[in-house]
Amino acid sequence: MKSKQATFISVLILSSALISTAAVSAEDMVLVPEGSFTPFFLKKDAAGSSTATATVINAFWLDTTPVTNRKFQAFVNQHPDWHKSNIRKIFTDSHYLAHWQNVQGSADTADLGKPVVNVSWFAAEAYCEAQDKRLPSTDEWEYTLTDNGRDQENLQKQIINWYSVPNQALPAVRAKPANGFGVFDLVGLIWEWTADFNSYMAPPDSRNSGDKNLFCGSGSLNASNLGDYAAFMRYSYRESLKGNFTGKNLGFRCAKDAK
Amino acid sequence: MNTNSKRKLLLPLLLACSALTVSFQALAEEHEHHHHQHETSSATPDPAAVSTDSIFNITDSWTAADGKAFQLDQLGGKPTVVAMVYTSCQYVCPLTVQNIKRIERALPAAQAGKVNFALFSFDPQRDTPAKLAEFAKLHSITAPSWVLAQGSESAVRKLAVTLGIKYKKVQSGDYEHDATISILDSNGVVKFQSDAMNKNVNDATDALKALLH
Repeated sequence: MKSKQATFISVLILSSALISTAAVSAEDMVLVPEGSFTPFFLKKDAAGSSTATATVINAFWLDTTPVTNRKFQAFVNQHPDWHKSNIRKIFTDSHYLAHWQNVQGSADTADLGKPVVNVSWFAAEAYCEAQDKRLPSTDEWEYTLTDNGRDQENLQKQIINWYSVPNQALPAVRAKPANGFGVFDLVGLIWEWTADFNSYMAPPDSRNSGDKNLFCGSGSLNASNLGDYAAFMRYSYRESLKGNFTGKNLGFRCAKDAK
Repeated sequence: MNTNSKRKLLLPLLLACSALTVSFQALAEEHEHHHHQHETSSATPDPAAVSTDSIFNITDSWTAADGKAFQLDQLGGKPTVVAMVYTSCQYVCPLTVQNIKRIERALPAAQAGKVNFALFSFDPQRDTPAKLAEFAKLHSITAPSWVLAQGSESAVRKLAVTLGIKYKKVQSGDYEHDATISILDSNGVVKFQSDAMNKNVNDATDALKALLH
């Protein structure tokens, strides 16, 4: 172990001399404090019959930024099963890491600081597991976005502006300021996988168990303001995903229990 | 916590060095054991490798009702009828089991023994192996061709995602979930899926028979 650390350090010194962009903050994750929020689909309109109970979220660690191509490349180097030429078909569609176009199937140097995209849920899950982390739950992700109610108006504007522009070339992570929890890039860059994306968005009492036609459930009917509209887009998008899907604007970040 | 924070620091530093792959190749190899492919069980006809679109590529460990460790690739060698249930479920899950038994009964006696029937629990907290054994007894499941198993939250999520089953734990501790019956071939590839609430099991039985000839 000692000698391994020594190797780390010598490698580090060498590489930081070679790669000027290698400055990586130790603040990789941030502790999101416990709190509560009302998930979009539990919000009722004024005449709503049932009172929505807020969902309690325990404190948890969350990556401050989406996982970058640089980090995902390191993961693939360590776990060749997840190289684009080796990945098992059951874990992805045919566009896995489609933007890694050189002969080695590795990330383009110019993209290293950008969020990794074209990754399936299985690949995202495997990455987090390999770091001894996990994907955040949908509730944890949405709770982090609410930012304890800070500056909601600005946030909604930002979200809607982003949703309304066609796909653009991805910028690097951390280009915009962090939110109040110290978390960057929840909106404006990519859509993100959550652990339980294959959950139901509609409240249980609005439908029969096993009903697959949730799209027209009570969730959509309550989307009466911009914030709800944006949330509806996110929940609908997740609802449309399958675990092997990839997308050129779909990436992820990892979380960890606070213990 | 000390080693933890040290690792948190080391990891990004290490990642930053990815250009120097040669230098940490040795370390990378040490990490590889996490993702070693599991050998197919000896019952599998093709022992060479797990089919690339097989659910046997998922290597999480489950615990069967008899308390023994169970892995998905133990279903290899025979076609398998799979569903996800939980034992505190009042209506949907018992009906799912009844419909799987309908499929079992629709097979000629000579064929019924050539099929696995597998029930995986959504509920890691309440469905202990003993609870699963009780559930099997309640539903007169005695044949050795049946397996009931429970696993970690992440194993459950991974299997459900693989089978395209949506579910959510609700505040009462119960689960809202799709009720789906899946039929796997002997290599663990999903060949057929149907609504587990459908009492007409003809299509499912035909799909299974097609894998048995």
